[in-house]
Amino acid sequence: MATLHVLSHSPFSDSRLSSCLRLLGSGDGLLLSGDAVYALQRGTAQRQALDLMPANIGLFALEEDLCARAIDAPPRVQVVDYPGFVELSCRFGKVNSWL
Amino acid sequence: MKFVIALFSAPHAPSSRRALRFAQAALAGGHEIVRLFFYQDGVHSASSAVVSAQDELDLSAEWRTFVQEQHLDGVVCIAAALRRGVLNAEEAQRYGRTAANLTAPWELSGLGQLHEATQMADRLLCFGGP
Repeated sequence: MATLHVLSHSPFSDSRLSSCLRLLGSGDGLLLSGDAVYALQRGTAQRQALDLMPANIGLFALEEDLCARAIDAPPRVQVVDYPGFVELSCRFGKVNSWL
Repeated sequence: MKFVIALFSAPHAPSSRRALRFAQAALAGGHEIVRLFFYQDGVHSASSAVVSAQDELDLSAEWRTFVQEQHLDGVVCIAAALRRGVLNAEEAQRYGRTAANLTAPWELSGLGQLHEATQMADRLLCFGGP
């Protein structure tokens, strides 16, 4: 079943992002929220890892968290608001939050 | 779509706010919230003793208003609440405590309520951490 993984921890303070990237399968999605949007910061290994993610994995980021941190999402990332977040959680079979 | 929302983090954590905004957006989108379950440090969001600074978001109050206005089933884990000093009048009396800080619309109950709600819902959304 396609899973939406939701991250909120900074990728610079623990290994949740790298563990999650290993787990992602075809058709899964990754939603970056809170400090996890720092993974999109240019010139970082985390951003590079996300850029290399296959196209069949959906990459999403919460708009307000990008704005709050002045991070520009690359075109590969679909920026969503809260209604968009709700829509994603309907679209994917289950939602796995990395608490 | 039927959602159950579990909140694990304290009211000052950004994830608590995210949970509330998600819940509001879910209802606005025509979805149903079968139950809200507050667990671990999330129980503090149901406390009526929380005082927020005037220029800050009062998340406990926002949750209370939301649950009341939408007539939602707001369940607070009893074991998590008792150990953090979040008590309703009944529990305060039972354990001889001088104050109670959990009132309607919140209800104290067990973890089984989360399990049951998950069986009834299409999606479980957990919010916690930062």
